[in-house]
Amino acid sequence: MVTNQQTIVEKIVSRAVGRQVRAGEHIDVLPIDKLYFNEVIAPPAIINFQNDFQSVFADAASNSRKKPGEISVWGEGGKTKLKVFDPSRVCFIPDHTVPSCSVKVAQGVNLMKQFAADQGIKMFKEGDGIEHTVVTEEGFVRPGEVVVATDSHTDTVGAIGALGFGIGTTEAEYALATGEIYDFFVPETYKFEISGDFHPGVSAKDLILTILGTVKEGGCSKKVAEYSGDTIRKMGMDGRFTMCNMSVEMSARTGIVNPDKVTSEFVRDTIERHPELSQELSSRMETGSMVRSDDGASYASDMDLDAGEIEPQVALPHSPANTKPASELSDELNVVFIGSCTNARHSDLVEAARIIKGKKVNQNVNLLVIPTSRLVYNWAMDQGILKIFADAGANIESSNCGPCFGKHMGVLSPGDRCLSTSNRNYKGRMGSPEANIYLSSPATAAASAIEGKIADPRRYYAA
Amino acid sequence: MIVKFGDDINTDYIVPAYILQEAWDKKFFADYAFERYSPDFPKTCRSNPNKDNVVVAGKNFGCGSSREQAVYAIQYNDVNAVIAESFPDIFFRNSINNSFCVVKVESVSDLVLGDRVEIDLQNLVVNIDGTRGRMQKQITMNEEERDLLVAGGRLGKVRERLRERLLATN
Repeated sequence: MVTNQQTIVEKIVSRAVGRQVRAGEHIDVLPIDKLYFNEVIAPPAIINFQNDFQSVFADAASNSRKKPGEISVWGEGGKTKLKVFDPSRVCFIPDHTVPSCSVKVAQGVNLMKQFAADQGIKMFKEGDGIEHTVVTEEGFVRPGEVVVATDSHTDTVGAIGALGFGIGTTEAEYALATGEIYDFFVPETYKFEISGDFHPGVSAKDLILTILGTVKEGGCSKKVAEYSGDTIRKMGMDGRFTMCNMSVEMSARTGIVNPDKVTSEFVRDTIERHPELSQELSSRMETGSMVRSDDGASYASDMDLDAGEIEPQVALPHSPANTKPASELSDELNVVFIGSCTNARHSDLVEAARIIKGKKVNQNVNLLVIPTSRLVYNWAMDQGILKIFADAGANIESSNCGPCFGKHMGVLSPGDRCLSTSNRNYKGRMGSPEANIYLSSPATAAASAIEGKIADPRRYYAA
Repeated sequence: MIVKFGDDINTDYIVPAYILQEAWDKKFFADYAFERYSPDFPKTCRSNPNKDNVVVAGKNFGCGSSREQAVYAIQYNDVNAVIAESFPDIFFRNSINNSFCVVKVESVSDLVLGDRVEIDLQNLVVNIDGTRGRMQKQITMNEEERDLLVAGGRLGKVRERLRERLLATN
């Protein structure tokens, strides 16, 4: 049956290319709306960009019919100057191992600062937060946009209805030059329809781990994971970020949630914090950038889940899809990490603090708490939430990716057993390949930090 | 064929994160290939004087992180190609951008270490001469991707697009 009903993915790509597209279609050139970099990939991308495109600017300048003063590719002193496609649509966020954990990292961050200043690109500061959180909090990424960034967890921005793809150094370098990506296949969509209410102590992380445990690491390959249903509509933005964030763990192209009232409120809050964005953001919302999948859109696969049947889940070593209910586990732990782009937002810290309040972290456990951004960090400080963690004996660090990246702040030793609220527990991910990493929600992590072993958080919620 | 892996080999296994920020040149990562998963990988690859290594893997090879250093780590160990049952998009696109040959075939179950493997991109087949005799496998790859691989990536195309745009506005 031929229908003009489209998924949100088809709509966003159609808008970007200026014609109606269908899943499966090959697109030569996909113009992007936004591009952002972390300090892991920006330094080599900047260097490659300079090496690969300097001569193109020089050639264009020497073939121009205009006088040097009139040519926009000429910089100071009559020299041809390399320019990124549009500095206002690029930003740099040092977040993986900052404050810098090695000389080379520090050099890389300085290279970014220098290039950003030269090109007029917004450079965030060390500690402003993890990239995927910062770009949404700061209004840099908006609903309905095509977004690429040098990190696989760019899928996170799908929570606000943007289409985010992780890309490598080379694609990012090309996008920096032209604002485009090439040979793009419009992905099909896998629809996850979730209905019902979570039990107390169960949250978005348990839901996405349950899905992962079912579809496995390759289960959403080539497709976008769309999360819908009344559970998602009732879910706050924080939970949606968690869901979209872990889509890549089932090899999804990205994750996405259809924008709704919760999304509008999130955008309104952003405008309140950034009045300078008010006009642009409001007009974008009015001009229909908040596109949604049509009811009759066609999906490659679908799955229905009942939130009421979800239990607290834990992913066991060494795969995020290796899941079991927390109630069946009691593995001893010596490290607990509450942080990362998956689970360190407002409601995540609130849930964990509610369980930890007035208690002490188990004497065998090193608990690390790293809020996802400076905004969340400062808010948690004002709310007394950081004090609850500090009083319990936690180590609270400034915002960065922390031990999830396995280089900085809490690298694991052989034999360590760590429960983390992050997204990956691959062997060696957080340090030694002889360490064991488990994944869970912030509530399960908090309960486990107190007990020194994997614990079901539901017993901390009064019936 | 020099090494055979199973399913879901992620890019953290191919090159660990702690080393990614420590160099900006591609060759550096070869020494750290599979350091935490199969640490003999560089030594095994480099012991082949013909420098014509082919890696074979199951489904979903290169999943997880978008780090392009995973491609360099394999490529600069004298590996000419990876044959696998599937690749996630990011790793596949990163490979093509480095004109590193990644080909998808339906099954690798009958490939054995030491088999002679010839990848024919023109006809999109893999010719195998090995312990189980001669075999041929179809490569699943669309024409755009094949042409890009043969052309050595898309840098030329991107440079040309940029040049045209600069001239149009100048």
